[in-house]
Amino acid sequence: MMKVTRRIAVAAMFGAMAFTTSVSAQAADLIAIITPSPDNPFFKAEADGAAAKATELGYETLVASHDDDANKQSELIDTAIARGAKAIILDNAGADATVAAVQKAKDAGIPSFLIDREINATGVAAAQIVSNNYQGAQLGAQEFVKLMGEKGTFVELVGKESDTNAGIRSKGYHDVIDSYPDLKMVAQQSANWSQKEAFDKMETILQANPDIKGVISGNDTMAMGAIAALQAAGKKDVIVVGFDGSNDVRDSILAGGIKATVLQPAYYSAQLAVEQAHDAIANKKMPAQEKQLLDCVLINADNAAKLETFALK
Amino acid sequence: MNRIRKLAIVALACLALAGCKFVPTAEKQKQASANSAQASDKGFDAKVAELWDAKVMPYAQARAGLFMEVQTAIKADANAAGAKYGYKEKEGSAPWTLLARIEGKIVAANTQSRAATIDVDADGDGRADAHIQIGPVIRGTAIRDSLDFVNFNDFTNQIDFAQFGKAFNTHLNGKILGKLPRDGLPDKSAAVLGAFPLPPAGELPLVTPLAIEIKP
Repeated sequence: MMKVTRRIAVAAMFGAMAFTTSVSAQAADLIAIITPSPDNPFFKAEADGAAAKATELGYETLVASHDDDANKQSELIDTAIARGAKAIILDNAGADATVAAVQKAKDAGIPSFLIDREINATGVAAAQIVSNNYQGAQLGAQEFVKLMGEKGTFVELVGKESDTNAGIRSKGYHDVIDSYPDLKMVAQQSANWSQKEAFDKMETILQANPDIKGVISGNDTMAMGAIAALQAAGKKDVIVVGFDGSNDVRDSILAGGIKATVLQPAYYSAQLAVEQAHDAIANKKMPAQEKQLLDCVLINADNAAKLETFALK
Repeated sequence: MNRIRKLAIVALACLALAGCKFVPTAEKQKQASANSAQASDKGFDAKVAELWDAKVMPYAQARAGLFMEVQTAIKADANAAGAKYGYKEKEGSAPWTLLARIEGKIVAANTQSRAATIDVDADGDGRADAHIQIGPVIRGTAIRDSLDFVNFNDFTNQIDFAQFGKAFNTHLNGKILGKLPRDGLPDKSAAVLGAFPLPPAGELPLVTPLAIEIKP
């Protein structure tokens, strides 16, 4: 499943415009871009954002998905090392499992710029650029509490356990929601970030709890699964809040389905990672701080129309 | 031998617990620790209790400016104002979090919501200049974010960093806000030392107090 994009011809064209033609005589430096499966539009936006910025800066790119398999991720990093990549942009396959793989790249002299997900170590990656999931989850939870009128029964769909983001969003939700004694959680289940799994879990939960008033979800794909199950069961008034800011959820909000989500600047974070990688390669300049938080923005009916591919227009 | 060691550990643990037993309602504390399994392990609540008087308050008192002066400085140059009166991390996109002293009449109180606030008129024109959070629900992590000696890089992950931020709010609720009157607030006056993230254009600052006094 490895897609190698050779953009030398394109680089030569740009080179002719921007610089002298001699630049194109040399093979461009390689940046490896490794993310979870682009089936989730969030990860596709990351890969696209990183690749576009890398190309713009004159790099060749190697784009691949580890499909949330730590072994596959390790093999992909081996490939990046073998191909002489100058930097790796990585949305990783596990906070603990990834540390060794990133260390291996570091030992080979290749800096890794992590996006979206953290690893449980510092000093191994050159950068860890992550959304401020706690701040974002609090925004989502505050909106959820408001929509619920500070009371009622609800369900929480949690993400994949190996991903710190699942835990931090759940914590952000509960740090707000649990302060309201009249809001009662009747079920909390992991649907592993998956739309299909969320649909199935929601159907089962509804059998035991037909009268729930709200669903708060750790990401947008699970929120899409939940709203589909709710609509199939004829429950149009259940309040659903997601997290990510995908175009699918934007469309659902505009159609009166899902009520709110939280935008993570996925496209921007991927581009920022490539800019920092470029600074490291070209200027030997590392980021001032390894761990970097990017603030999230609440999306609801007021601003959903301005949302496009994980960025506000 | 083993027994003596155990006793010593128990004694130490008691001391540590005594040091952090500041939350007035045991119920609230129980709820907080039930929600976050990580909380008790890391001892962040105790850490914050230890830092509060020793580092947090002296830092805030030294850094804070008079609210209207801080507002004027923000209008002139937000980055310069942030660097002078506040802090933000070197990378990332968090806004500046600034520290200020606000005094003035309470022109409105929203105590219906559990995220209660009072509106304070700092310049005497009869209109609100800032929303002050009075709990029990505290939005955001402004106290943590205003401190130049607390850095995300020093934490294992976002969960720990968040827990540490929450510990400041818990401390604030227990030590300071729990004692505030809730009724008849409008027309009284408030004196606040507080932290606020740089608000979006056109919005009033949402201030998290570090110290607050309500006067008749």
